[in-house]
Amino acid sequence: MRRTVLKSLLATAVLAATAGLPAAQAADKEIVIGGSIPMSGVFAFAGIGIHAGIQDYVKMTNDAGGIEGHMLRYVPEDSAYKVDQSVAAFKKITSQNKVNFYYGDSTAFSKTINPELDRAGSMIMSGASFATELNDPQKFPYQFIAGPDYTQQFGILLRYIAQQKPGAKVAFVYSDTEFGRDPIESSRGVAKELGLNVAIEIMTPPGAVDVSTEMAKLRRARADYTIFHGYILGPIPEFISQSRQLGLQTQFMGTFWTMDNSTVMQMGEAAEGFMGVMPYNYYYDDSASAPMLEKIRSMRTEYQNVPYIQGFLSAMLYAESARRTLAAGQEMSAANLKAALNSIENFDTGGLIGVPISIRGNTIPVGRIYRADVQAKRMVPASDWIVLE
Amino acid sequence: MRIGTARSSYRHDESLFDSRTQHAWLAVLAVALLGFPFFADEYWLYLACLVAINIASTTGLNILTGYTGLVSLGQAAFMGIGAYTVAALEQKLGTPVLLNLLAGGFVAMLGGLVVGLPSLRVKGLYLAIATIAASVVLHFVFANWHSVTGGHAGITVAPAEILGVSFDTSFRLYWLFVPITALMVLGAANLFRTRIGRAFIAIRDRDISAEVLGIPLLRYKLLSFGLSSFYAGVAGGMWAYFFRVVTPESFPLIMSIFFLAAVIVGGMGTILGAILGAVFMTMVPEALKLIVGWLPLSADATLILSPVRTIVFGALIVGFLVFEPLGLQEIWRRIRRFFHLWPFRA
Repeated sequence: MRRTVLKSLLATAVLAATAGLPAAQAADKEIVIGGSIPMSGVFAFAGIGIHAGIQDYVKMTNDAGGIEGHMLRYVPEDSAYKVDQSVAAFKKITSQNKVNFYYGDSTAFSKTINPELDRAGSMIMSGASFATELNDPQKFPYQFIAGPDYTQQFGILLRYIAQQKPGAKVAFVYSDTEFGRDPIESSRGVAKELGLNVAIEIMTPPGAVDVSTEMAKLRRARADYTIFHGYILGPIPEFISQSRQLGLQTQFMGTFWTMDNSTVMQMGEAAEGFMGVMPYNYYYDDSASAPMLEKIRSMRTEYQNVPYIQGFLSAMLYAESARRTLAAGQEMSAANLKAALNSIENFDTGGLIGVPISIRGNTIPVGRIYRADVQAKRMVPASDWIVLE
Repeated sequence: MRIGTARSSYRHDESLFDSRTQHAWLAVLAVALLGFPFFADEYWLYLACLVAINIASTTGLNILTGYTGLVSLGQAAFMGIGAYTVAALEQKLGTPVLLNLLAGGFVAMLGGLVVGLPSLRVKGLYLAIATIAASVVLHFVFANWHSVTGGHAGITVAPAEILGVSFDTSFRLYWLFVPITALMVLGAANLFRTRIGRAFIAIRDRDISAEVLGIPLLRYKLLSFGLSSFYAGVAGGMWAYFFRVVTPESFPLIMSIFFLAAVIVGGMGTILGAILGAVFMTMVPEALKLIVGWLPLSADATLILSPVRTIVFGALIVGFLVFEPLGLQEIWRRIRRFFHLWPFRA
C-alpha cells in the first residue's frame, strides 16, 4: 500500500512539474475570456450558472462567425470561492493565454487583482461582485459590474417605495459582513432625499439562525417596507414567518443574490408576495421584446438561474466592447476596451434587460421590482424598469 | 544517522547538517531555489510565494502544536494581526518593509501571549476551543476598529518597496519571501537544539514531569504561543504584501484548520513535516486541477469534476492519516533510508 501511495505521489509530482511547459499560444485572431469561476465551494450555485452563461454566449457568437473574424475562447478555472485559488487561477490563465477579458468571483478577488489589471493594461474584468466600492472608475479603471451596484439596487428599491407610498417607513436588515454592510451607509442619504424615513437598521451576525431579538426590534419600528441585504436565503424565511405570526404589516424585499427564482421559492409559503430588485429578465420571460431569452431556452430547456443571465450578459458586453474596439481599428488594450465599453449607449441586450442600456462609470444602473407568485412558482414584474440617472 | 558519518568533534556532533551528502543536497536545493524564478512562469512563481507564506505559518504552528503539544485553531487570526499591523504601518507611517514584517511578528506575538494564558489550565480540545474564541474576538476587532483596520472594507496595501525596488510581482516577491521563510525554518530547526526547544518537547511529552524537571510551565507555554504567533504574524505580513488587500474575511477559521491539517499531514513535531505539509496542502488542489485539465474532456467536464476534485483532496488527507499517521515526513524518511544503503540493499 505504501508503495502505491509513493507511486501515486511521484506521479502527481511529475505531472505537477511538467505542467509548467508553455501551453499553446493563443492564436492572433482570438479573443480570450478568462475566468476564476466558483464551480465548487459555498458559491458553486452561482458559479455553475455563470459558467454556463458565458459558455453559451461564446458558443452562440462563434457559431455566428465570431467578432470581426475573431473567435471567442473561454478559459475557466475553478476558484472554489477562495481568494488565493482565484488569484492562482488568474495567474495560470493569464500566463498561458493572451487574455482580453476576465470574470472574477468575489469582491475580495476584484480588489486583490486590481493592481495586476492596472499593471497588465491588457484586459478588462467584471465579475460576480456588485460591491459599491468597485463602482469607482478612478480606483478600478479596468473593471465593471454587469448590473447595478448594491447601493444602486437599494436606490431602485427606495425609488419604487417612494412612488408607492411617499414618506414610507423603511427598515434595513443586513448581515454583519462586507457584503451586508455595503449599501447601508450610502442608502441612508438616498432614502432621505426620496423623503423616506429609515425607521431602523438591524445588523444580524453572519449565519444567524435565531432572529427573535431582531424581530422584536423590527416589530417596534413598524416599518412599511423591510429590505434584506447581505444574505442569500437564511435568515429571511425566519423573519417572514415570525412576522406573519405576529401579524406584522410590512412588505419584505431583497436584493440580487436573494432574488433568483429558485432561492425565493425555497422560502415556501413565506415567499408569497416577497419582492425585490432584479436587473435582468428571468429565464422564463417570453415577451416579444426578449428574443435572446428565447434563444437561451432553445439551448437549455431547463430553468437557468439569474447568475446564468449575469454571466451571459457579461460575455455579451465583453464581445460588444471587443467588436467596437476592433471596428475602430484600435489595439485590444484595457484602456481601449474600457473606453469601448463606456461608449455603449442605448444598447439592446436582446431582452436580457428589458430596456436599452448605457454603461456610465462602472455599472449599469437599471433594475425592476419583482414579486413572488408562489402558485405559479415564478417572479412576476411589479414595476416598470427603473433607470437611475 | 547515515552510515559512515563518524563524528569526531563536539562541533561536528552539534551541527544541524552532519554529512556531506546532506550538504550536497542542500546545495542542490539552494541552486534549485535560486534558479527556479528564471524558469518558472507567473503562475508557478505565485504558487511558490504562497507556499513560502504557508510554510512560515505552518512551521510556527508546528512549534506550538507539533513540538509543545498545544492545539491551536487561532493561527489564521494571528496571521491577521500580523497582516493588519503591516498594512496599517505601511499605510499610515510608510515604515520600511522588513521593520513592518518584524513589527507584524511582534504584535502577533503579544496577541499570542494573551491567548496563550488559558493554556496553563486547559489542554487539548478545550484549548482548541479557547483559541477559536480568541479568533472570533480578533475577527470582531478587525471588523470594528475602523480607525486602524478600515472596518469591513479593510486596508489596501501598497507594494513592498526596498531601496527603491517595488516588490509588485511574484518574481520580485519570491526574492523577499523565500529567504525570510528559509531563515524562519532554520531558526525553528535550531530552536529544538536549545534548552527552550527541549523544554517544549518535554512539556508535550508530559507536562507534569516537565515541571518536576524544573521547567516553568507558564513561561514556556507562553513562550511557545508567542513564538508560534510571531511566525504567524510574519507570515501574515508577507500575506498582506502578497495579496495587497487585508479584510476581516481574509483570515477565516477554515484557514486555521488548513494549517493544523498541514501540520498533521506533514508530520507533527518535525521541521520537514511542516514544510511538506504546507506544500501538500497548497499544491495538491492545484495539481489535481492540472491533472483534470490534461484529461481529454470537454469544458463541461471541468464543471462536473470540480466537486470530485474536492472529494479526492479530502480522501487523500484521510488516506494519509490512515496509512501514514506519522505524516509525509515519514514517507520522506523511508525514501531516504532506502537510499542510505542503495545500491547494496534493494
